Amino acid sequence: MNDKIMEVKGLNKAFGAVTATNDLSFGIDRGHVHALIGPNGAGKTTLVNQLTGDIFPDSGKIIYNSQDITRLKDYRRAHLGIARSFQITHIFENLTVGENMALSICAHSGHNFHFWRHSLRSGIVKEKLEGALGRVDLAHRRHLKASHLSHGEKRQLEVGMALTGDPELLILDEPMAGMGPGGTIELSKLIEKLKGTLTILLVEHDMDVVFSLADMVTVLVYGEAILTAPVDQVRKNRRVQQAYLGDGW
Amino acid sequence: MTSTLRKNSIVASGGLLLVILPILVSWSGHDYYISLFSRILIYGLAAVSLDLLLGFSGMISLGHAAYVGIGAYVVAIFFHHASEMEPLFTWPFVLEGSENGLLVLPLAVLISALFALVIGSLCLRTRGMHFIMITLAFAQMLYYFFVSLEKYGGDDGLSLYSRSSIPGMDLGNDIHFYYLCLGSLLVFIFVARRLVYSRFGLIVRGCSNNERRIRALGINSYSYRLALFVIAGAGAGLAGGLLANQTEYVSPGLMHWTLSGELMVMVLLGGLGTLFGPVLGAAVFLLVEENLAMYTEHWMVYMGPFLVLVVIFAKRGLFGLVAGGENGNE
Repeated sequence: MNDKIMEVKGLNKAFGAVTATNDLSFGIDRGHVHALIGPNGAGKTTLVNQLTGDIFPDSGKIIYNSQDITRLKDYRRAHLGIARSFQITHIFENLTVGENMALSICAHSGHNFHFWRHSLRSGIVKEKLEGALGRVDLAHRRHLKASHLSHGEKRQLEVGMALTGDPELLILDEPMAGMGPGGTIELSKLIEKLKGTLTILLVEHDMDVVFSLADMVTVLVYGEAILTAPVDQVRKNRRVQQAYLGDGW
Repeated sequence: MTSTLRKNSIVASGGLLLVILPILVSWSGHDYYISLFSRILIYGLAAVSLDLLLGFSGMISLGHAAYVGIGAYVVAIFFHHASEMEPLFTWPFVLEGSENGLLVLPLAVLISALFALVIGSLCLRTRGMHFIMITLAFAQMLYYFFVSLEKYGGDDGLSLYSRSSIPGMDLGNDIHFYYLCLGSLLVFIFVARRLVYSRFGLIVRGCSNNERRIRALGINSYSYRLALFVIAGAGAGLAGGLLANQTEYVSPGLMHWTLSGELMVMVLLGGLGTLFGPVLGAAVFLLVEENLAMYTEHWMVYMGPFLVLVVIFAKRGLFGLVAGGENGNE
Protein backbone atom coordinates (compact mmCIF):
# COMPACT_ATOMS: atom_id res chain seq x y z
CA MET A 1 0.00 0.00 0.00
CA ASN A 2 1.08 3.53 -0.77
CA ASP A 3 2.45 5.28 2.29
CA LYS A 4 0.89 8.56 1.16
CA ILE A 5 -2.76 8.72 2.13
CA MET A 6 -3.33 11.88 0.16
CA GLU A 7 -1.41 13.62 -2.60
CA VAL A 8 -2.09 16.99 -4.10
CA LYS A 9 -0.58 17.73 -7.50
CA GLY A 10 -0.39 21.16 -9.16
CA LEU A 11 -3.61 22.48 -7.65
CA ASN A 12 -4.91 25.85 -8.86
CA LYS A 13 -7.92 27.83 -7.74
CA ALA A 14 -8.73 31.45 -8.43
CA PHE A 15 -11.67 33.60 -7.36
CA GLY A 16 -11.83 36.22 -10.07
CA ALA A 17 -8.46 37.98 -10.06
CA VAL A 18 -7.46 36.53 -6.70
CA THR A 19 -5.34 33.41 -6.87
CA ALA A 20 -6.14 31.46 -3.72
CA THR A 21 -4.27 28.28 -4.62
CA ASN A 22 -1.23 28.51 -6.85
CA ASP A 23 0.30 25.36 -8.40
CA LEU A 24 0.20 23.67 -5.03
CA SER A 25 1.65 20.20 -4.44
CA PHE A 26 2.25 18.20 -1.28
CA GLY A 27 1.61 14.77 0.20
CA ILE A 28 0.33 13.49 3.54
CA ASP A 29 1.98 10.41 5.04
CA ARG A 30 -0.32 7.75 6.43
CA GLY A 31 -0.58 7.79 10.22
CA HIS A 32 1.04 11.21 10.66
CA VAL A 33 -0.24 14.40 12.14
CA HIS A 34 0.42 16.73 9.24
CA ALA A 35 0.14 20.42 10.00
CA LEU A 36 -0.78 23.08 7.47
CA ILE A 37 0.40 26.52 8.51
CA GLY A 38 0.57 29.88 6.89
CA PRO A 39 -0.26 33.52 7.57
CA ASN A 40 -3.79 34.86 7.28
CA GLY A 41 -5.01 34.83 3.70
CA ALA A 42 -2.52 32.17 2.64
CA GLY A 43 -5.42 30.10 1.32
CA LYS A 44 -5.53 27.40 4.00
CA THR A 45 -9.28 27.13 4.21
CA THR A 46 -9.63 27.33 0.44
CA LEU A 47 -7.26 24.39 0.18
CA VAL A 48 -9.15 22.41 2.81
CA ASN A 49 -12.42 23.11 1.01
CA GLN A 50 -10.91 21.63 -2.13
CA LEU A 51 -9.64 18.57 -0.28
CA THR A 52 -13.09 17.88 1.15
CA GLY A 53 -14.94 18.65 -2.06
CA ASP A 54 -16.74 21.74 -0.86
CA ILE A 55 -15.34 23.53 -3.89
CA PHE A 56 -13.57 22.17 -6.96
CA PRO A 57 -10.12 23.29 -8.13
CA ASP A 58 -9.65 24.98 -11.51
CA SER A 59 -6.90 22.53 -12.37
CA GLY A 60 -4.64 19.96 -10.74
CA LYS A 61 -5.25 16.66 -9.06
CA ILE A 62 -6.17 15.31 -5.63
CA ILE A 63 -5.27 11.66 -5.08
CA TYR A 64 -6.64 9.83 -2.06
CA ASN A 65 -5.56 6.23 -1.43
CA SER A 66 -4.33 6.04 -5.05
CA GLN A 67 -7.76 7.14 -6.29
CA ASP A 68 -8.33 10.37 -8.19
CA ILE A 69 -11.01 12.24 -6.20
CA THR A 70 -10.56 15.68 -7.78
CA ARG A 71 -14.14 15.79 -9.08
CA LEU A 72 -15.81 13.66 -6.43
CA LYS A 73 -18.67 15.33 -4.51
CA ASP A 74 -18.25 16.19 -0.83
CA TYR A 75 -20.59 13.55 0.59
CA ARG A 76 -18.96 10.84 -1.54
CA ARG A 77 -15.54 11.77 -0.16
CA ALA A 78 -16.92 11.46 3.35
CA HIS A 79 -17.84 7.89 2.50
CA LEU A 80 -14.26 7.20 1.45
CA GLY A 81 -13.08 8.06 4.95
CA ILE A 82 -12.34 11.77 4.85
CA ALA A 83 -13.90 13.59 7.79
CA ARG A 84 -13.56 17.26 8.60
CA SER A 85 -14.26 19.76 11.29
CA PHE A 86 -14.88 23.33 10.32
CA GLN A 87 -13.11 26.53 11.25
CA ILE A 88 -16.40 27.89 12.54
CA THR A 89 -18.08 25.19 14.59
CA HIS A 90 -20.60 23.32 12.51
CA ILE A 91 -22.83 21.45 14.87
CA PHE A 92 -26.61 21.26 14.81
CA GLU A 93 -27.60 23.87 17.36
CA ASN A 94 -31.28 22.95 17.19
CA LEU A 95 -30.61 19.33 18.22
CA THR A 96 -29.45 17.89 21.52
CA VAL A 97 -25.88 16.69 22.03
CA GLY A 98 -27.10 13.10 21.86
CA GLU A 99 -29.01 13.77 18.65
CA ASN A 100 -25.99 15.47 17.12
CA MET A 101 -23.89 12.43 17.77
CA ALA A 102 -26.67 10.06 16.70
CA LEU A 103 -26.96 11.97 13.45
CA SER A 104 -23.35 11.43 12.57
CA ILE A 105 -23.55 7.78 13.61
CA CYS A 106 -26.55 7.37 11.30
CA ALA A 107 -24.64 9.08 8.53
CA HIS A 108 -22.16 6.23 8.50
CA SER A 109 -24.66 3.39 8.71
CA GLY A 110 -26.19 3.04 5.29
CA HIS A 111 -29.28 4.92 4.22
CA ASN A 112 -31.52 6.73 6.64
CA PHE A 113 -34.94 6.23 5.15
CA HIS A 114 -36.13 4.81 8.45
CA PHE A 115 -39.35 6.66 9.03
CA TRP A 116 -40.79 5.01 12.10
CA ARG A 117 -38.61 4.09 15.04
CA HIS A 118 -37.26 6.83 17.31
CA SER A 119 -33.77 7.71 16.15
CA LEU A 120 -32.17 7.36 19.58
CA ARG A 121 -33.71 3.91 20.02
CA SER A 122 -32.59 2.48 16.68
CA GLY A 123 -30.13 -0.40 16.92
CA ILE A 124 -27.04 1.18 15.45
CA VAL A 125 -27.37 4.35 17.54
CA LYS A 126 -27.97 2.45 20.77
CA GLU A 127 -24.87 0.41 20.07
CA LYS A 128 -22.48 3.27 19.37
CA LEU A 129 -23.81 6.40 21.06
CA GLU A 130 -22.39 5.71 24.51
CA GLY A 131 -18.87 5.12 23.24
CA ALA A 132 -18.94 8.07 20.86
CA LEU A 133 -20.02 10.48 23.60
CA GLY A 134 -17.53 9.01 26.05
CA ARG A 135 -14.62 9.39 23.64
CA VAL A 136 -14.97 13.18 23.77
CA ASP A 137 -16.19 13.36 27.40
CA LEU A 138 -19.70 14.55 26.64
CA ALA A 139 -21.80 11.67 27.99
CA HIS A 140 -23.14 13.83 30.81
CA ARG A 141 -24.31 16.48 28.36
CA ARG A 142 -26.41 14.32 26.06
CA HIS A 143 -29.83 15.83 26.81
CA LEU A 144 -28.63 19.40 26.51
CA LYS A 145 -29.39 21.42 23.40
CA ALA A 146 -26.12 21.78 21.51
CA SER A 147 -26.59 25.56 21.43
CA HIS A 148 -26.16 25.59 25.23
CA LEU A 149 -22.68 24.02 25.19
CA SER A 150 -19.58 26.06 25.94
CA HIS A 151 -17.32 26.91 23.05
CA GLY A 152 -14.79 24.23 23.95
CA GLU A 153 -17.50 21.60 24.36
CA LYS A 154 -18.88 22.46 20.94
CA ARG A 155 -15.44 21.74 19.49
CA GLN A 156 -15.25 18.47 21.37
CA LEU A 157 -18.66 17.53 20.05
CA GLU A 158 -17.63 18.43 16.55
CA VAL A 159 -14.46 16.35 16.68
CA GLY A 160 -16.48 13.52 18.22
CA MET A 161 -18.94 13.69 15.36
CA ALA A 162 -16.16 13.60 12.81
CA LEU A 163 -14.80 10.46 14.48
CA THR A 164 -18.01 8.41 14.48
CA GLY A 165 -17.41 7.15 10.98
CA ASP A 166 -13.94 5.81 11.84
CA PRO A 167 -12.36 8.03 9.21
CA GLU A 168 -8.89 7.35 7.83
CA LEU A 169 -8.15 11.01 7.34
CA LEU A 170 -9.40 13.63 9.77
CA ILE A 171 -9.11 17.24 8.67
CA LEU A 172 -9.22 19.71 11.55
CA ASP A 173 -9.62 23.27 10.34
CA GLU A 174 -8.27 25.60 13.06
CA PRO A 175 -9.69 23.57 15.94
CA MET A 176 -8.15 25.88 18.54
CA ALA A 177 -9.63 29.08 17.07
CA GLY A 178 -11.37 31.14 19.71
CA MET A 179 -10.60 28.74 22.56
CA GLY A 180 -9.32 29.66 25.96
CA PRO A 181 -6.05 28.10 27.23
CA GLY A 182 -7.95 25.36 29.09
CA GLY A 183 -9.84 24.30 26.01
CA THR A 184 -6.66 24.27 23.94
CA ILE A 185 -5.03 21.86 26.36
CA GLU A 186 -8.10 19.61 26.43
CA LEU A 187 -8.26 19.45 22.67
CA SER A 188 -4.50 18.93 22.32
CA LYS A 189 -4.81 15.94 24.63
CA LEU A 190 -7.61 14.57 22.52
CA ILE A 191 -5.54 14.93 19.34
CA GLU A 192 -2.55 13.37 21.10
CA LYS A 193 -4.77 10.44 22.04
CA LEU A 194 -5.89 10.01 18.44
CA LYS A 195 -2.38 10.17 17.08
CA GLY A 196 -1.39 6.94 15.40
CA THR A 197 -4.95 5.63 15.07
CA LEU A 198 -5.62 7.74 12.02
CA THR A 199 -4.07 10.40 9.81
CA ILE A 200 -4.76 13.98 10.81
CA LEU A 201 -4.39 17.10 8.72
CA LEU A 202 -4.22 19.91 11.21
CA VAL A 203 -4.75 23.44 9.96
CA GLU A 204 -3.63 25.64 12.82
CA HIS A 205 -2.52 29.12 13.76
CA ASP A 206 -1.17 28.30 17.19
CA MET A 207 2.51 27.46 16.66
CA ASP A 208 2.91 25.86 20.09
CA VAL A 209 0.18 23.40 19.21
CA VAL A 210 1.68 22.68 15.80
CA PHE A 211 5.18 22.09 17.13
CA SER A 212 4.00 19.86 19.94
CA LEU A 213 1.64 17.69 17.87
CA ALA A 214 2.75 17.62 14.25
CA ASP A 215 5.12 15.17 12.53
CA MET A 216 5.26 17.00 9.22
CA VAL A 217 4.50 20.59 8.34
CA THR A 218 3.51 22.22 5.08
CA VAL A 219 3.93 25.98 4.94
CA LEU A 220 1.54 27.89 2.74
CA VAL A 221 2.25 31.43 1.54
CA TYR A 222 0.02 33.17 -1.01
CA GLY A 223 -1.53 29.89 -2.04
CA GLU A 224 1.81 28.20 -2.66
CA ALA A 225 3.35 25.40 -0.62
CA ILE A 226 6.78 26.89 -0.01
CA LEU A 227 7.95 24.00 2.12
CA THR A 228 6.92 20.53 3.27
CA ALA A 229 9.27 19.12 5.88
CA PRO A 230 9.57 17.42 9.26
CA VAL A 231 8.65 19.71 12.11
CA ASP A 232 12.26 20.30 13.32
CA GLN A 233 13.44 21.63 9.97
CA VAL A 234 10.49 23.97 9.69
CA ARG A 235 11.26 25.47 13.05
CA LYS A 236 14.68 26.55 11.79
CA ASN A 237 13.69 27.58 8.28
CA ARG A 238 14.33 31.24 7.43
CA ARG A 239 11.57 31.58 4.84
CA VAL A 240 9.04 30.40 7.34
CA GLN A 241 10.31 32.89 9.84
CA GLN A 242 9.96 35.61 7.24
CA ALA A 243 6.44 34.63 6.39
CA TYR A 244 5.52 34.76 10.04
CA LEU A 245 7.57 37.82 11.00
CA GLY A 246 5.22 40.10 12.86
CA ASP A 247 3.16 37.18 14.06
CA GLY A 248 5.60 37.24 16.95
CA TRP A 249 6.87 33.76 17.47
CA MET B 1 -39.97 16.48 33.17
CA THR B 2 -42.87 18.72 34.22
CA SER B 3 -42.89 20.73 31.02
CA THR B 4 -43.41 17.52 29.07
CA LEU B 5 -46.23 16.57 31.43
CA ARG B 6 -47.89 19.93 30.98
CA LYS B 7 -47.60 19.70 27.23
CA ASN B 8 -48.96 16.18 27.11
CA SER B 9 -51.94 16.99 29.31
CA ILE B 10 -52.79 20.02 27.21
CA VAL B 11 -52.56 18.03 23.99
CA ALA B 12 -54.65 15.23 25.52
CA SER B 13 -57.38 17.58 26.74
CA GLY B 14 -57.38 19.36 23.38
CA GLY B 15 -57.81 16.00 21.65
CA LEU B 16 -60.56 14.97 24.05
CA LEU B 17 -62.36 18.24 23.46
CA LEU B 18 -62.31 17.62 19.70
CA VAL B 19 -63.64 14.09 20.19
CA ILE B 20 -66.64 15.15 22.29
CA LEU B 21 -67.22 18.38 20.40
CA PRO B 22 -70.17 17.06 18.35
CA ILE B 23 -71.98 16.16 21.57
CA LEU B 24 -71.38 19.61 23.04
CA VAL B 25 -72.53 21.27 19.87
CA SER B 26 -75.75 19.26 19.56
CA TRP B 27 -76.57 20.09 23.18
CA SER B 28 -76.10 23.76 22.54
CA GLY B 29 -78.16 23.51 19.37
CA HIS B 30 -75.70 25.36 17.14
CA ASP B 31 -75.36 22.51 14.65
CA TYR B 32 -73.70 24.86 12.23
CA TYR B 33 -70.54 24.71 14.29
CA ILE B 34 -69.96 21.08 13.33
CA SER B 35 -69.20 22.03 9.77
CA LEU B 36 -67.09 24.99 10.88
CA PHE B 37 -65.01 22.68 13.02
CA SER B 38 -64.69 20.17 10.19
CA ARG B 39 -63.23 23.00 8.21
CA ILE B 40 -60.86 23.82 11.07
CA LEU B 41 -59.68 20.21 11.20
CA ILE B 42 -59.09 20.15 7.45
CA TYR B 43 -57.15 23.42 7.41
CA GLY B 44 -55.35 22.16 10.50
CA LEU B 45 -54.29 19.07 8.56
CA ALA B 46 -52.96 21.20 5.70
CA ALA B 47 -51.17 23.47 8.18
CA VAL B 48 -49.56 20.53 9.99
CA SER B 49 -48.24 19.23 6.68
CA LEU B 50 -46.83 22.69 5.95
CA ASP B 51 -45.27 22.73 9.44
CA LEU B 52 -43.21 19.69 8.43
CA LEU B 53 -41.58 21.91 5.82
CA LEU B 54 -41.44 25.24 7.66
CA GLY B 55 -40.81 24.09 11.19
CA PHE B 56 -38.64 21.04 10.80
CA SER B 57 -36.68 21.35 7.60
CA GLY B 58 -36.51 25.09 7.04
CA MET B 59 -38.04 24.84 3.57
CA ILE B 60 -40.18 27.96 3.19
CA SER B 61 -42.76 26.86 0.66
CA LEU B 62 -45.14 29.56 -0.49
CA GLY B 63 -46.95 27.18 -2.81
CA HIS B 64 -48.38 24.64 -0.43
CA ALA B 65 -51.95 25.37 -1.49
CA ALA B 66 -51.14 23.77 -4.84
CA TYR B 67 -51.28 20.31 -3.27
CA VAL B 68 -54.48 21.12 -1.41
CA GLY B 69 -55.94 22.17 -4.75
CA ILE B 70 -54.70 19.06 -6.57
CA GLY B 71 -56.22 16.81 -3.90
CA ALA B 72 -59.52 18.66 -4.11
CA TYR B 73 -59.61 18.50 -7.90
CA VAL B 74 -58.85 14.77 -7.90
CA VAL B 75 -61.97 14.14 -5.82
CA ALA B 76 -64.04 16.59 -7.84
CA ILE B 77 -62.95 15.33 -11.25
CA PHE B 78 -63.61 11.70 -10.37
CA PHE B 79 -67.00 12.72 -9.01
CA HIS B 80 -67.81 14.77 -12.08
CA HIS B 81 -67.06 11.85 -14.41
CA ALA B 82 -69.01 9.43 -12.26
CA SER B 83 -72.11 11.61 -12.36
CA GLU B 84 -71.75 12.26 -16.10
CA MET B 85 -71.18 8.51 -16.63
CA GLU B 86 -68.25 9.35 -18.84
CA PRO B 87 -64.77 7.85 -18.34
CA LEU B 88 -61.87 10.19 -17.54
CA PHE B 89 -59.97 8.74 -20.45
CA THR B 90 -60.17 5.67 -22.64
CA TRP B 91 -56.58 5.24 -23.69
CA PRO B 92 -54.32 3.36 -22.81
CA PHE B 93 -56.99 1.94 -20.53
CA VAL B 94 -60.48 2.99 -19.58
CA LEU B 95 -60.61 4.98 -16.35
CA GLU B 96 -64.11 5.47 -14.98
CA GLY B 97 -65.10 8.20 -12.56
CA SER B 98 -65.84 7.28 -8.98
CA GLU B 99 -67.42 8.65 -5.85
CA ASN B 100 -66.04 5.96 -3.58
CA GLY B 101 -64.16 7.73 -0.83
CA LEU B 102 -61.93 4.74 -0.23
CA LEU B 103 -60.67 5.13 -3.79
CA VAL B 104 -60.69 8.88 -4.44
CA LEU B 105 -59.20 10.04 -1.13
CA PRO B 106 -56.12 7.78 -1.41
CA LEU B 107 -55.88 8.88 -5.05
CA ALA B 108 -55.97 12.51 -3.94
CA VAL B 109 -53.06 11.76 -1.61
CA LEU B 110 -51.13 9.85 -4.24
CA ILE B 111 -51.53 12.34 -7.06
CA SER B 112 -50.67 15.31 -4.81
CA ALA B 113 -47.59 13.40 -3.74
CA LEU B 114 -46.65 12.85 -7.37
CA PHE B 115 -47.02 16.55 -8.12
CA ALA B 116 -44.91 17.32 -5.04
CA LEU B 117 -42.28 14.88 -6.29
CA VAL B 118 -41.98 16.54 -9.69
CA ILE B 119 -42.23 20.12 -8.43
CA GLY B 120 -40.03 19.42 -5.41
CA SER B 121 -37.30 17.79 -7.46
CA LEU B 122 -36.93 21.09 -9.32
CA CYS B 123 -37.52 23.51 -6.43
CA LEU B 124 -35.06 21.80 -4.08
CA ARG B 125 -32.20 22.65 -6.41
CA THR B 126 -32.58 26.22 -5.20
CA ARG B 127 -32.15 27.81 -1.79
CA GLY B 128 -33.57 30.60 0.31
CA MET B 129 -35.41 33.33 -1.52
CA HIS B 130 -35.23 31.43 -4.80
CA PHE B 131 -36.92 28.43 -3.21
CA ILE B 132 -39.74 30.60 -1.91
CA MET B 133 -40.29 32.19 -5.30
CA ILE B 134 -40.10 28.98 -7.32
CA THR B 135 -42.61 27.14 -5.10
CA LEU B 136 -44.88 30.16 -5.47
CA ALA B 137 -44.39 30.14 -9.24
CA PHE B 138 -45.34 26.48 -9.59
CA ALA B 139 -48.47 26.95 -7.49
CA GLN B 140 -49.54 29.97 -9.54
CA MET B 141 -48.87 28.02 -12.74
CA LEU B 142 -51.27 25.32 -11.56
CA TYR B 143 -53.75 27.98 -10.53
CA TYR B 144 -53.80 29.51 -14.00
CA PHE B 145 -53.86 26.07 -15.59
CA PHE B 146 -57.09 25.22 -13.75
CA VAL B 147 -58.53 28.68 -14.43
CA SER B 148 -58.18 27.96 -18.13
CA LEU B 149 -59.38 24.36 -17.90
CA GLU B 150 -62.88 24.89 -19.31
CA LYS B 151 -63.73 21.19 -19.18
CA TYR B 152 -63.76 21.34 -15.41
CA GLY B 153 -65.47 24.65 -14.95
CA GLY B 154 -62.44 26.93 -15.43
CA ASP B 155 -62.71 30.00 -13.29
CA ASP B 156 -66.15 28.99 -11.96
CA GLY B 157 -64.94 25.74 -10.48
CA LEU B 158 -66.82 22.51 -10.21
CA SER B 159 -69.74 21.56 -7.99
CA LEU B 160 -70.25 18.15 -6.45
CA TYR B 161 -73.82 17.01 -5.95
CA SER B 162 -72.97 15.06 -2.83
CA ARG B 163 -70.05 13.90 -0.76
CA SER B 164 -68.01 10.77 -1.45
CA SER B 165 -69.33 7.50 -0.10
CA ILE B 166 -67.49 5.32 2.36
CA PRO B 167 -68.96 1.95 3.37
CA GLY B 168 -70.29 2.08 6.92
CA MET B 169 -70.26 5.87 7.04
CA ASP B 170 -72.67 8.51 5.82
CA LEU B 171 -70.46 11.43 4.90
CA GLY B 172 -73.55 13.49 4.09
CA ASN B 173 -74.10 13.46 7.83
CA ASP B 174 -72.00 16.30 9.23
CA ILE B 175 -71.12 14.38 12.39
CA HIS B 176 -69.84 11.36 10.44
CA PHE B 177 -67.88 13.68 8.22
CA TYR B 178 -66.48 15.50 11.24
CA TYR B 179 -65.11 12.25 12.63
CA LEU B 180 -63.57 11.35 9.27
CA CYS B 181 -61.72 14.67 9.33
CA LEU B 182 -60.70 14.23 12.96
CA GLY B 183 -59.46 10.69 12.30
CA SER B 184 -57.43 11.83 9.28
CA LEU B 185 -55.89 14.66 11.25
CA LEU B 186 -54.96 12.52 14.26
CA VAL B 187 -53.44 9.81 12.07
CA PHE B 188 -51.45 12.38 10.14
CA ILE B 189 -50.13 14.05 13.29
CA PHE B 190 -49.20 10.67 14.73
CA VAL B 191 -47.33 9.71 11.56
CA ALA B 192 -45.68 13.13 11.38
CA ARG B 193 -44.45 12.84 14.98
CA ARG B 194 -42.94 9.42 14.37
CA LEU B 195 -41.35 10.81 11.25
CA VAL B 196 -39.83 13.85 12.92
CA TYR B 197 -38.13 11.83 15.66
CA SER B 198 -37.02 8.95 13.43
CA ARG B 199 -33.59 8.67 11.84
CA PHE B 200 -35.07 10.21 8.72
CA GLY B 201 -36.39 13.10 10.80
CA LEU B 202 -33.04 13.57 12.48
CA ILE B 203 -31.37 14.09 9.11
CA VAL B 204 -34.06 16.45 7.93
CA ARG B 205 -33.94 18.53 11.11
CA GLY B 206 -30.17 18.61 10.76
CA CYS B 207 -30.53 19.97 7.22
CA SER B 208 -32.65 22.85 8.44
CA ASN B 209 -29.92 23.93 10.81
CA ASN B 210 -26.79 23.20 8.84
CA GLU B 211 -27.10 21.51 5.50
CA ARG B 212 -23.43 21.88 4.68
CA ARG B 213 -22.53 19.89 7.78
CA ILE B 214 -24.98 17.15 6.79
CA ARG B 215 -23.19 16.84 3.47
CA ALA B 216 -19.79 16.79 5.17
CA LEU B 217 -21.09 13.81 7.16
CA GLY B 218 -21.56 11.98 3.89
CA ILE B 219 -25.31 12.39 3.49
CA ASN B 220 -26.90 13.41 0.23
CA SER B 221 -29.33 15.87 1.78
CA TYR B 222 -31.31 16.37 -1.42
CA SER B 223 -33.15 13.04 -1.35
CA TYR B 224 -34.16 13.42 2.30
CA ARG B 225 -35.50 16.89 1.80
CA LEU B 226 -37.32 15.75 -1.32
CA ALA B 227 -38.91 12.83 0.55
CA LEU B 228 -40.18 15.21 3.20
CA PHE B 229 -41.49 17.59 0.56
CA VAL B 230 -43.46 14.70 -0.97
CA ILE B 231 -44.87 13.63 2.42
CA ALA B 232 -45.95 17.19 3.14
CA GLY B 233 -47.56 17.38 -0.31
CA ALA B 234 -49.40 14.13 0.38
CA GLY B 235 -50.80 15.50 3.66
CA ALA B 236 -51.98 18.64 1.88
CA GLY B 237 -53.56 16.44 -0.80
CA LEU B 238 -55.57 14.58 1.84
CA ALA B 239 -56.70 17.92 3.24
CA GLY B 240 -57.71 18.97 -0.27
CA GLY B 241 -59.70 15.79 -0.84
CA LEU B 242 -61.57 16.36 2.41
CA LEU B 243 -62.10 20.03 1.66
CA ALA B 244 -63.74 19.21 -1.69
CA ASN B 245 -66.14 16.96 0.22
CA GLN B 246 -66.77 19.48 2.94
CA THR B 247 -67.74 22.35 0.66
CA GLU B 248 -68.97 20.10 -2.19
CA TYR B 249 -67.31 22.57 -4.48
CA VAL B 250 -63.81 23.14 -5.85
CA SER B 251 -62.33 26.12 -7.65
CA PRO B 252 -58.87 27.23 -8.76
CA GLY B 253 -58.92 29.58 -5.76
CA LEU B 254 -57.80 26.63 -3.67
CA MET B 255 -54.39 26.85 -5.35
CA HIS B 256 -54.06 30.60 -5.15
CA TRP B 257 -51.11 31.92 -3.22
CA THR B 258 -53.41 33.64 -0.75
CA LEU B 259 -54.39 30.23 0.60
CA SER B 260 -50.71 29.25 0.82
CA GLY B 261 -50.21 32.45 2.78
CA GLU B 262 -53.12 31.72 5.09
CA LEU B 263 -51.73 28.25 5.82
CA MET B 264 -48.42 29.87 6.66
CA VAL B 265 -50.16 32.31 9.00
CA MET B 266 -51.87 29.38 10.74
CA VAL B 267 -48.52 27.65 11.26
CA LEU B 268 -46.86 30.80 12.62
CA LEU B 269 -49.83 31.67 14.79
CA GLY B 270 -50.09 28.21 16.28
CA GLY B 271 -46.38 27.58 16.66
CA LEU B 272 -43.68 26.70 14.19
CA GLY B 273 -42.26 23.21 14.60
CA THR B 274 -44.81 22.01 17.14
CA LEU B 275 -47.10 19.84 14.94
CA PHE B 276 -50.06 20.42 17.32
CA GLY B 277 -49.74 24.18 17.16
CA PRO B 278 -50.85 24.56 13.54
CA VAL B 279 -54.21 22.98 14.43
CA LEU B 280 -54.62 25.58 17.15
CA GLY B 281 -53.52 28.22 14.65
CA ALA B 282 -56.12 27.05 12.14
CA ALA B 283 -58.82 27.12 14.83
CA VAL B 284 -57.97 30.64 15.97
CA PHE B 285 -57.60 31.92 12.42
CA LEU B 286 -60.90 30.51 11.18
CA LEU B 287 -62.85 31.41 14.34
CA VAL B 288 -61.56 34.97 14.23
CA GLU B 289 -62.40 35.18 10.55
CA GLU B 290 -65.86 33.74 11.19
CA ASN B 291 -66.70 36.22 13.92
CA LEU B 292 -65.05 39.36 12.59
CA ALA B 293 -66.26 38.80 9.04
CA MET B 294 -69.80 39.42 10.31
CA TYR B 295 -68.88 43.01 11.14
CA THR B 296 -66.37 43.90 8.46
CA GLU B 297 -64.92 42.39 5.35
CA HIS B 298 -61.61 43.99 6.31
CA TRP B 299 -61.22 41.66 9.29
CA MET B 300 -57.58 41.12 8.37
CA VAL B 301 -56.95 44.63 9.71
CA TYR B 302 -57.38 43.12 13.18
CA MET B 303 -55.82 39.76 12.41
CA GLY B 304 -52.60 41.33 11.13
CA PRO B 305 -51.49 43.14 14.32
CA PHE B 306 -52.53 40.09 16.37
CA LEU B 307 -50.23 37.88 14.27
CA VAL B 308 -47.39 40.37 14.61
CA LEU B 309 -47.75 40.36 18.40
CA VAL B 310 -47.82 36.57 18.56
CA VAL B 311 -44.76 36.20 16.31
CA ILE B 312 -42.78 38.78 18.30
CA PHE B 313 -43.71 37.75 21.83
CA ALA B 314 -44.42 34.03 21.61
CA LYS B 315 -41.50 32.22 20.09
CA ARG B 316 -43.39 28.98 19.62
CA GLY B 317 -46.72 30.60 18.84
CA LEU B 318 -49.97 30.17 20.75
CA PHE B 319 -49.16 26.53 21.39
CA GLY B 320 -45.92 27.59 23.06
CA LEU B 321 -47.91 30.02 25.22
CA VAL B 322 -50.35 27.44 26.51
CA ALA B 323 -48.13 24.38 26.56
CA GLY B 324 -44.88 26.00 27.66
CA GLY B 325 -41.72 26.72 25.73
CA GLU B 326 -39.60 24.16 24.03
CA ASN B 327 -38.25 21.33 26.10
CA GLY B 328 -34.91 19.65 25.62
CA ASN B 329 -35.83 16.56 23.70
CA GLU B 330 -39.12 15.12 22.55
